[in-house]
Amino acid sequence: MAEEVILKVTQLNKSFGGLKATNNVNYEMTRGELSAIIGPNGAGKSTFFNLLTGYHKVDSGEVRYKGKDITNWPPHRIARLGISRAFQVSNIYPALTTYENIRQAILAQQKRTLYFFTPAERLAKQETEELLRTAGLHEHADILAGNLSQGDKKRLELAIALGSKPDLLFLDEPTAGMSGEENQETMKLVERLNREMGLTILFTEHDMSVVFGYARRLTVLHQGTIIAQGTPEEVRANQTAQKVYLGEEE
Amino acid sequence: MKRYWWVGLIFVIGLILPRVVGEFWVHVAVEVLILGLFAVSFNMIFGYMGQLSFGHAAYYGVGAYATGLLMVKASLPLPLGLVASMATAGICALIIGYFCVRLTGIYFAILTLAFGQMLYYIIFQWYSFTGGDNGLQGIVAPDLLFSATAYYYFTLCVVTAALIVMWYISRSPFGYTMRSIRENADRTRFIGINVRRYMLINFVVAAIFAGLAGGLWGPFNRSIAPDLCNWHQSGIPVFMAVIGGPMGFLGPMIGSLIYTFLFAYVTGFTQYWPLVAGSVIIFVVLFMPGGVLGLLDEIKTKLFGFRRLAEDIDEPTRTEKR
Repeated sequence: MAEEVILKVTQLNKSFGGLKATNNVNYEMTRGELSAIIGPNGAGKSTFFNLLTGYHKVDSGEVRYKGKDITNWPPHRIARLGISRAFQVSNIYPALTTYENIRQAILAQQKRTLYFFTPAERLAKQETEELLRTAGLHEHADILAGNLSQGDKKRLELAIALGSKPDLLFLDEPTAGMSGEENQETMKLVERLNREMGLTILFTEHDMSVVFGYARRLTVLHQGTIIAQGTPEEVRANQTAQKVYLGEEE
Repeated sequence: MKRYWWVGLIFVIGLILPRVVGEFWVHVAVEVLILGLFAVSFNMIFGYMGQLSFGHAAYYGVGAYATGLLMVKASLPLPLGLVASMATAGICALIIGYFCVRLTGIYFAILTLAFGQMLYYIIFQWYSFTGGDNGLQGIVAPDLLFSATAYYYFTLCVVTAALIVMWYISRSPFGYTMRSIRENADRTRFIGINVRRYMLINFVVAAIFAGLAGGLWGPFNRSIAPDLCNWHQSGIPVFMAVIGGPMGFLGPMIGSLIYTFLFAYVTGFTQYWPLVAGSVIIFVVLFMPGGVLGLLDEIKTKLFGFRRLAEDIDEPTRTEKR
């Protein structure tokens, strides 16, 4: 099967005040990829995600998804195309239960949110249960999401993102705030989603063991510019990348 | 269905009430119901969507004028008037809400207030049509509903029906979408929901029920005045929701019960009602921030352990099945 490009970013630019957060970025993803973006704090990783998902408006450049120009589309339309994301600081519904959090995403995906008279609890039961299990949250189904541990909140947000049945998934530091063991568990789940369900996944991460253990392609971002790209081995060998980032860590 | 036996009980108490109390209190009970419906509709925006509308009386007033004008000037029957009230309030909310849902928080509150005052001044100034500050007199309920008790029963049925519809909406996927917008609007956008559009729909639905409440008011009071649109009137459902507890569906209705009875009782012997109302609000905000329902929830939690009352869910139906 020929490699299908599903995401194509051309000459993307974004400044905040005088600061160039994204500087002429060109980027491509093919279907089935599991890749990571790394870079020091403030390198523009989150901004990049925000531009791709419609959270920020781009200054110039183009974002194409499956050939369609989605530049500056509002977030809800981009989400409906099958692009989903999880935030760096877990973004959940704290006063709803874990179960309700996930069900909400599923109901939205099933376009049932304009049902006025069917009790929500009768809908999407099976799908919600399944996703609860996938994310390992079934024991916490009835707990208010705001009372979950940090790690569980991150996992819940991942589950919410999956509830939209995405083809393309952006994860902003999926293991932030997790213990070492939880780290590995979460990343194994991410890998399984990629392998078994064919999701194309792009994540950012500070933990180098996670990055080099799971990503098959790395992109190094520095001051809004891509300075290196390639397999983990290539990036590790790259002089520039080492200087700005990897050097500091190791 | 067994869990809702108490709803039936309250309804039965409501049916017996006029046999037990005097006519004055039957009048008060009608007020409790009408203002309660008004407050519950307000809470669709405040409690469920998480935005404070400070101009909700606009739709209440518009509803009152729609029924009043149609009954007085066109001699239309009351039920048609009520339908017209709902429609008119809904249309006004669609136009006003279109602008309001672009903002949130304090800006939403201010904008709803400004639009509410605008409608108030239009009604106030338009003498030839609304009667201006003279108000509109002679709104008389049909013979069948002329007595206080009869109008009470009519109101009880209409309000109960409206509450049942709103209760269903609150538990529907749409209701949960409102909660999700309240809890986290960004996350809701990223699961593919057009947050503004949903807020607008909710704004309109809430206004429709406020319009119904307003429509019921005219024939009860026999006359209406522009004050029904004023920001004073918009403050009433805010009080009621805060007193009763905005996190529960019936909280504002409980608030209406407390507020309206207190008002009727206190004004019986003093003219310092605002002083009493102010004290009650201060007490509630400082010592029972969740309102009466919040307090009940706390007591229940202490007695029976962790379980929440405010947001009702049927756990058994889903945890058993697997």
